[in-house]
Amino acid sequence: MDIGIGLIAIGAALAVGISALATGLAQARIGAAAMGAIAEKPELAGRAILLVAIPETLVILGFAVAAMAILLLPA
Amino acid sequence: MLIPMAKLQIAGRREELSAVLEGIYRLQGMQLVDVARDPALDVDAAGLNDANSLTQARLELLVARLDALLALVGSDDRGDSRLHGDPDPVSGAVDLADVEAELDRISILVQEAAQHLDSLTDELAVLPRYLHPLEQLARLVPELAALPEYELQKLGLDTAALVLNTSDDTLVDTLRRELTEVFGVRFDLTSARVGTDAIGCLLVFSHSDSARLHALLGQEHVRHLPLPSAYSGQSLFGALAGMRTRLDALPRELADAHQVLEELIGPHVEAWHVTLAGARAELEQLAAAAGAGVTDRAFAVVGWVPRPHVARFHEALAALSMGPLAIEELPHDERAHSTPVLMKERRVARPFGLLTRFLDNPRAASLDPTGLMALFLPLMFGVMVGDVVYGTALLLVGLWARRKFGRISPGIADLCSVLVFGAIWAIIFGFLFGEALGNLGKNLFGDFSLWFYRGDANALQPLLLFALAIGAAHVLLGVVLGMWQSWRDRAHRHLLDRVGTFAFLCGMLGLAGFAAGALPPGFMSPAIALTVVGLVLVMSLHGTLGLIMAPLELLGAIGNILSYLRLAAVGLASVYLAIVANELATVGPLWLGIIVATFFHVLNLALAGFSPMIQALRLHYVEFFSKFFIGGGQAFIPFGKSHS
Repeated sequence: MDIGIGLIAIGAALAVGISALATGLAQARIGAAAMGAIAEKPELAGRAILLVAIPETLVILGFAVAAMAILLLPA
Repeated sequence: MLIPMAKLQIAGRREELSAVLEGIYRLQGMQLVDVARDPALDVDAAGLNDANSLTQARLELLVARLDALLALVGSDDRGDSRLHGDPDPVSGAVDLADVEAELDRISILVQEAAQHLDSLTDELAVLPRYLHPLEQLARLVPELAALPEYELQKLGLDTAALVLNTSDDTLVDTLRRELTEVFGVRFDLTSARVGTDAIGCLLVFSHSDSARLHALLGQEHVRHLPLPSAYSGQSLFGALAGMRTRLDALPRELADAHQVLEELIGPHVEAWHVTLAGARAELEQLAAAAGAGVTDRAFAVVGWVPRPHVARFHEALAALSMGPLAIEELPHDERAHSTPVLMKERRVARPFGLLTRFLDNPRAASLDPTGLMALFLPLMFGVMVGDVVYGTALLLVGLWARRKFGRISPGIADLCSVLVFGAIWAIIFGFLFGEALGNLGKNLFGDFSLWFYRGDANALQPLLLFALAIGAAHVLLGVVLGMWQSWRDRAHRHLLDRVGTFAFLCGMLGLAGFAAGALPPGFMSPAIALTVVGLVLVMSLHGTLGLIMAPLELLGAIGNILSYLRLAAVGLASVYLAIVANELATVGPLWLGIIVATFFHVLNLALAGFSPMIQALRLHYVEFFSKFFIGGGQAFIPFGKSHS
């Protein structure tokens, strides 16, 4: 197998993996703060979910990059 | 859809204020406004006179006493078999003197019974805490444990239990050394671990040394584990036996104490609930009377009524046959945050109102996105799940849960309905993608996809494009709604900002289409023009900062569209987990394969019921609502509704 194909696959995996780690780190901090806020004011639950969900865009963009990389692979 | 509100003023003779308020309370159709807090109303608030203040204080005390008494027998407004129907909250004024006298008489007996119950409950909680460490210490001196109480007393021996809050065993040796220096050999010290950071010690010593030993322990700050007062003076082993006997007897005594309380309070429960509802209604009406506007001879009550209900409200008020009333509609700013909001949806969209309110109530006279949410949220859920079998399973679970738990609260019924709608779309997309338990359906029945199978290697591109198409349509729809909202609010800067964003996004989509070869070359110039016009328009609105802010804002809008790629990502994760489950099933023997496949499919189904819903909700809250939604509305709560 061409080493280039392997490198593309590794690049795609790294794109998703690293962005997922970054999302996890961001969500961990936001989630902890959001739970604290909800404990004080339960009516903030909707906005808390919104804030926790925001960093997920990172991993979605990582997925987009990985998808583009995989589309480069020969069929 | 938000129901428009009318601000009504009801005026009449001052002496009829209480009767009118009672009538409005009974109708439950108007949310009252405190005239003192509304700067638009030029009228003095009645406030509370001395007599009403006193009545208010007595009623508040009465409510607190009744709540406390009813709580003792676990009786709340709902679910109590002793109640027969809802009490009429305005059946008549509460006779405070009578009720207070009755409560004074019963409270003395109830207080005694409640104190007895509390002491028994405390005893039941406290005794095991003593018993456990003492039992451990008692095992250290079994020869003493064998002696009856009178034998110990004849020997002139005392015992003391000590707890050293440490894990350092050398402290016991130090204690032994110090005791030896004072008492020689006239004591016995044994120890054992009673916790991770505690060492329990048992001292047996001569009764004559008791005072000196306790003084020495006090000097050395050694914590003595005192027995409960009922067992002080007894030997350790006598106390242990007494505690065990007491613990055996306590449940029966507790049941008897509960029975006594029930006999005291039970016969009054229904009457007290009626009194409680009446007292609360009177308190609300007193507060409302204080917030009404008054002159020497007249009163004015101001409140909100849903505009479609105004005629009915007039008729209902007239039917209460009170004195002459003048009712007129006051001018108001429909867009003010103080205007209450009443959401009313078509039956199909009604369950989704809960999800809109979960974020915030829309501001009055703004767009209510519930109807659009009812269309797009289940569709996105269906795109992500996209499996005939999973969809059917979720449909059955949703229907069962709505039937089983829907009666507990309307919110649970609404959530189950949302799941049902999503499951129907999941079945539809399951046929479009040709998926039944991942690739199992394809393997058994051949490719039955009406569009494309997501597990194929060449399915990635159309799936991504489909997700982006949904994203572009959804975000552009949000921007158009934002334009309409800004137009209605006469917010010209916002309107231009939305127009610029719309032009930029259309231009960028045109360029993307051209780059992908989907659009002919003739589209390139208009696409570039739209992009530049949109960018310049948004830049110009932000002044000097626009050079930085506008590109960031517009990139954010593109990011919003890209965010819809999660529809493809979550969907692919679901289908590949299903494929993995099917592949694992073929590795070992058939029975093991069935167990493994079932486990993974159930796991995937649980994820499919949860994760796609959260993702679809997020796409609405973050990407869609941010383009047009204005929150901060106050929910419409009619006067008297809180007790209906």
